[in-house]
Amino acid sequence: MTPFRPRPKQRRVLAYTGGRMGVSAVPGSGKTYTLSALAAKLVTSGVLADDQEVLVVTLVNSAVENFAGRVAGFVQQRGLLPHLGYRVRTLHGLAHDIVRERPALVGLADDFQIVDERAADQILQEAVETWLRTHSPAADDFLSPDLEEGRREWVLRGKWPALATDVARSFIRRAKDLQITPTDLFQWLEQRRDGLPGLFFASQSAASLPLVEMGGAIYADYQRALIYRGAVDFDDLIRLALQALRLDREYLERLRYRWPFILEDEAQDSSRLQEEILRLLVGPEGNWVRVGDPNQAIYETFTTASPHYLRDFLDELGVVSRELPNSGRSTLSIIRLANHLIDWTRTQHPVEAVREALTEPHIEPTPPGDPQPNPPDDPDQVWIVDRRFTPGDELGAVVDSLARWLPEHPEATVAVLTPRNQRGFELVNALKQRDLPYFELLRSSMSTREAAGALGNIVNYLADPVSSTKLAAVYRVWRRADREAESGEVQARFKAVSQALRRCRQVEDCLWPRPDQDWLEETARELEEDYPDLREHLAQFRALVRRWQEATLLPIDQLVLTLAQDLFREPADLAVAHKLAVVLRRASDSHPEWRLPELTQELAVVARNERRFLGLGDDDTGFDPEKYQGQVVVATVHKAKGLEWDRVYLMSVNNYNFPSAQPHDQFISEKWFVRDHLNLEAEALAQLDALRSEDGFYEEGAATKEARREYAAERLRLLYVGITRAKKELILTWNTGRRGDQQPATPFIALQTLWEEEG
Amino acid sequence: MTNLTLSNHQLALMDAAGSADRRVFFHGPAGAGKTTVGVEWLLRLLQADVPARSILVLAPQRTLALPYYAALRRPTVRPGGQVTIATVGGLAQRMVDLFWTLIAEPAGFAHPDQPPTFLTLETAQYYMARLVRPLLEEGYFETVVIDRNRLYSQIIDNLNKAAVVGFPYTEIGDRLKAAWSGEQTQRRIYDEAPQCATRFRAYCLAHNLLDFSLQVEVFARYLWKPALSDPADPTDSHSAATLCRDYLLETYTHLIADNVEEDTPVAHDVLRDWLDHCQSALLICDEEAGYRRFLGADPEDGLALGDLCDERVRFDEGVVTAPGLTALGTELAHALNRAPEGGARAERSPLSRQLKSQISDSLIYEHHRYHPQMLDWVADQIAGLVHEEEVPPGEIVVLAPYLTDALRFSLMHRLEQRQVDARSHRPSRALREEPATRCLLTLSAIAHPAWGIRPDRFDVAYALMQAIEGLDLVRAQLLAEIVYRVQDGALTFTSFDQIKPSMQERLTYLLGERYERLRVWLTEYAAAYAPTSDARLPFDHFLSRLFGELLSQVGFGFHADYDAGRVAHDLIESVRKFRWVAGGVELGEGGVASERKPLGQEYLEMVQDGVIAAQYIRGWRLQSEEAVLLAPAYTFLMNNRPVDYQFWLNVGGRGWWERLYQPLTHPYVLSRRWPYREDDQEMALWTDADEVDARQDALYRLVLGLLRRCRRRIYLGLSELGEQGYEQKGALLHAIQRVLRRLPAEEGVMYP
Repeated sequence: MTPFRPRPKQRRVLAYTGGRMGVSAVPGSGKTYTLSALAAKLVTSGVLADDQEVLVVTLVNSAVENFAGRVAGFVQQRGLLPHLGYRVRTLHGLAHDIVRERPALVGLADDFQIVDERAADQILQEAVETWLRTHSPAADDFLSPDLEEGRREWVLRGKWPALATDVARSFIRRAKDLQITPTDLFQWLEQRRDGLPGLFFASQSAASLPLVEMGGAIYADYQRALIYRGAVDFDDLIRLALQALRLDREYLERLRYRWPFILEDEAQDSSRLQEEILRLLVGPEGNWVRVGDPNQAIYETFTTASPHYLRDFLDELGVVSRELPNSGRSTLSIIRLANHLIDWTRTQHPVEAVREALTEPHIEPTPPGDPQPNPPDDPDQVWIVDRRFTPGDELGAVVDSLARWLPEHPEATVAVLTPRNQRGFELVNALKQRDLPYFELLRSSMSTREAAGALGNIVNYLADPVSSTKLAAVYRVWRRADREAESGEVQARFKAVSQALRRCRQVEDCLWPRPDQDWLEETARELEEDYPDLREHLAQFRALVRRWQEATLLPIDQLVLTLAQDLFREPADLAVAHKLAVVLRRASDSHPEWRLPELTQELAVVARNERRFLGLGDDDTGFDPEKYQGQVVVATVHKAKGLEWDRVYLMSVNNYNFPSAQPHDQFISEKWFVRDHLNLEAEALAQLDALRSEDGFYEEGAATKEARREYAAERLRLLYVGITRAKKELILTWNTGRRGDQQPATPFIALQTLWEEEG
Repeated sequence: MTNLTLSNHQLALMDAAGSADRRVFFHGPAGAGKTTVGVEWLLRLLQADVPARSILVLAPQRTLALPYYAALRRPTVRPGGQVTIATVGGLAQRMVDLFWTLIAEPAGFAHPDQPPTFLTLETAQYYMARLVRPLLEEGYFETVVIDRNRLYSQIIDNLNKAAVVGFPYTEIGDRLKAAWSGEQTQRRIYDEAPQCATRFRAYCLAHNLLDFSLQVEVFARYLWKPALSDPADPTDSHSAATLCRDYLLETYTHLIADNVEEDTPVAHDVLRDWLDHCQSALLICDEEAGYRRFLGADPEDGLALGDLCDERVRFDEGVVTAPGLTALGTELAHALNRAPEGGARAERSPLSRQLKSQISDSLIYEHHRYHPQMLDWVADQIAGLVHEEEVPPGEIVVLAPYLTDALRFSLMHRLEQRQVDARSHRPSRALREEPATRCLLTLSAIAHPAWGIRPDRFDVAYALMQAIEGLDLVRAQLLAEIVYRVQDGALTFTSFDQIKPSMQERLTYLLGERYERLRVWLTEYAAAYAPTSDARLPFDHFLSRLFGELLSQVGFGFHADYDAGRVAHDLIESVRKFRWVAGGVELGEGGVASERKPLGQEYLEMVQDGVIAAQYIRGWRLQSEEAVLLAPAYTFLMNNRPVDYQFWLNVGGRGWWERLYQPLTHPYVLSRRWPYREDDQEMALWTDADEVDARQDALYRLVLGLLRRCRRRIYLGLSELGEQGYEQKGALLHAIQRVLRRLPAEEGVMYP
């Protein structure tokens, strides 16, 4: 680890010894680095008793390991033992720690389970389906009256349930955030129906809150299902942690003692509950450092996360405010572009309410002599491409550009950033077709995915042991290293055996042959000349598959562990497999009717989807763009946060992905089949607010408008994050969308105008 | 000679205790040789011609009495009558059975003229589930997040605690409510749980069922304590109490009670009374133990029994532990017993060079990032000890606070790869997870189509694969695909002859013939015992026939598979017990039972639901003692057998510090020691400080208990991330780290 040489502004932050401090940082200013150094300083300064820790709270799992690794490095540099004296957690991790220590306090058994998002979604969908079955007329209130009958039927079958699920999800999350139980909701609704003193509604319809009725019923059903499983979801975990702290003063005091210093990274995305939990843990006299960049708050939609918590904190009495404005990441041109986006937003954004989306400070280049100087400036390396691409053309143009650029820059790093996963997958397909090297950073971590994928292939075969295609896939998993072996012969053998297996018509002849029909002997004879040791190789494979077949009788966790022990050598893979074994076992316990096909699907979900594997996921956490020189990294802008590349493509910057709350904009949350362009998620939350408010007032449509403004603000910040990922070269493109009616995003035009004006 | 194993010191202590007509109390730390002397005491009694039948050895659980069983099996022991070795619970059950006709009526049983049925934990759980399920539908326990089967077992646990501590079970709810400091809406579960308990109790009384709690309560109230009944009333149970108590006091005039610290207050009450009447008594008490507290043990009360004895002898000289481990124990005790967090801490004097080196020699550790890496390291170290240092595997034990199935399986597999024999103190799988059980249950469902259970095609394939010798997975799947059909709810199995010849060839005629025998057997059985026929065969008899007539025969899967045979035996036994208990009620009563499903179907569903775990310890008892033992730490302590080497897994894990959390029950609040008074509820609040104290104390006792049962060395398995990928920084890790900081750096650095 190279010694950290803080620049003057960083040094001021590091001078902290206690109290409250807020740090407003810009992209690339080394805020995480500085905060790690500060944590290490506190750990090594001797202010902690041996049962105390510096608590570092950060936003996403991937940051936890980065942070912990850095602090450990700093601590070791000072000649002390790493891993003790501090604890790095996401809010979920912290909540888990708090609840896990005193589960009974909040009504949990000691073996309570946490269902992840996927499982929670499954439960939610069941609850929504149940509700929809018994409330089919509910859709009438919201579907557009212009829908033709056939189309309406179609919407009711697919689109409406999906939307109802989205609405219910946001509703439940918000209710949990506000610590409201289903029972509370029903009570309030009843009071509202009965007419509370002081509440007066002009009509019955003004009093009714149909989305709360719906959300509340689904919420109740969903919670019941969780309790039945002895489980809580991620939102419960946080809600219960806060409850535990409020309920037991002694416990709170004990935790305050344990964590005398709390350092919070990415504080711009702090949510209401995070704020409350940390405020409680810090206490009136405690030590709290919050670092963040309000301009990079990109997790706010339908959550209570908001950059205003950080901004307000910076203005609080007694809080020392610091800035980290210097960044050596990008060229001056790119910095100028990012700063211009701030200025334009603040002064010229067409919707005044959105002008607060971005704030100063501006990004400043590093001072002379800084260990991290800005790359030499080249304004020609910024392209804001105003060409009117169709989505397909845009993909083609970007891939063409990459095909030209990659061979000339084998040692440089490049990323294509998309606003959504789906666009990323489309790009990956296009890259595949052109045979361009890529690394996809769209889903769960690589080791989770690969380990789960490998195991999935084998379990998939075991569920269908008669299939020769699947048996061939097993072989490919077993010999996956051969695919890229240096020896041409090994590679050829890999292909030859895979093909031979696929062609095998009767799998039993390959694995459990009758004396006269041994596929292995025949194949070995056939290919003997090219691969002399093939018989032994195939016999090994046969023995292995037989063993695995016998293992199908074991409980799923033991089956997975058996496979893993044969398949993996890397500790991280084995650890992931162990964790998968435990997860699948749990799934199988809660679905005793599941057999291998269902469990294979579950594994596939893990392999395919983002799934929170707390603690495990090495390469997400340690993702280092420098390791992918000469390859195209494909990521969403969200995933790219905290990372940097020499060249960055920012795609699909149109008014659908980056709307500006203007009349001609389209909004992803406003469904075409819903009347009056209502954003039902936003309306549901507004109805919930109305139910809780003193006057009980709810005006339909107001929340939809407000949501537009909030979304526009968040997307501006997302654009800002995207731009600031680039070190030397930046390319912005837009497309006309699926129906060809989309336009370049308003900020895109503003940036392009600036660039043209500056020549 | 029988005293060869005793040290001079122990002999001296024993002699000091005097002759066999005194009441003596041995106490001291574990590992000081008290039980060894206790065994010697027993043998001396026998040598002194004390009739064996007059000797009663009491232990809180069977494993703790194993040294006495072993001693009585020695060839040097004279033949003659039999020494009784029992637990107070076991004694209670025997007495209730013996004096049933006298106490059934006063104890409130509805059918005193009919025999009692004693429930196992499994069958009690079965009845509790049946009674509580409808209440769950009504919304009971909605506020508590807990698996249903654990919910049932906690209600049973509460009843047991009330019985062994000796307060009315109706008080449970008030005690728990008074102690509750959490969210107020949670308090309703403390009303709901006693309601369930009351239902269960009423049901038991109405059907002559006795779960553990009722056995103990009936014994304590009607068979032992005459004071509770009215001597003036000739119809009450006074005569029964006198009879039973006199019978016991007269039969057993020589008492030995070991590990009284692990026994319950009601057991202590019985002992207290008995001490007044017996001719000789030896009570043995470990200090700083009490590992069965969650089952109602009261170590402080156990220690107080010493006051009633003629002689107290303290064993303070450790005969087991290496000096380094003793020093480590002292250091750890200090690290754990420190002033509360935030309080002042006394400075300790530095360790001597010799002590430092002794501690370092006794403690081996290596830090790993991932859990499987730690398991590899542990397996390597064990293999090194066994193969290179020739340590007998039986002298090695691997301990963790909890053992998940995955952990057990992974480690057993690693040891097997390294040619090290290992055994686990829990069966590797619950009976329902044994493939052989699943095979038998699938075939049962097929043979009883009237149950309406239609096995999944996969289950059928797996059952065929196991039932038919030589049938591989590929062919099993093909076969199931072709022959097994469920049409309009009816189940059919096509005969092999009806399969296309080309497919017959693929499946082979040999396997086809075996399949055909199986099919014919099942079909004929189904026809013979169809619901329309008069023939009835209990489910366990069916299983016996299936096993005996078919599966154990040549050409079938259980023929040469002894393990599967063992599992079949266990299953049959479990079903038989279930029939005795549940079937009895069905035959004897109407009520719930009248509209009930066939017993076999009910059993099958219960197994699938997990209500009947059907776990048998028989399996591990058969395992060789000469194998590395893999066990939860508390289980090891309850075996009370020191070893040379201990491996502690997941030292950073929080399991070492956490007590089992059970929202519906509470070992401390439901103890006699807890200051519960209806008029002073302030006192009765269980606070965070109580919780931390309890945990710290439990960890301290646990660690000390383990160290005192280790002769040579402790290995610490450390991994940064636990089994589930969570970072591990538990209290034990911190305590050990504190100790290591007092050693020189090169010896004390826990992390590389």
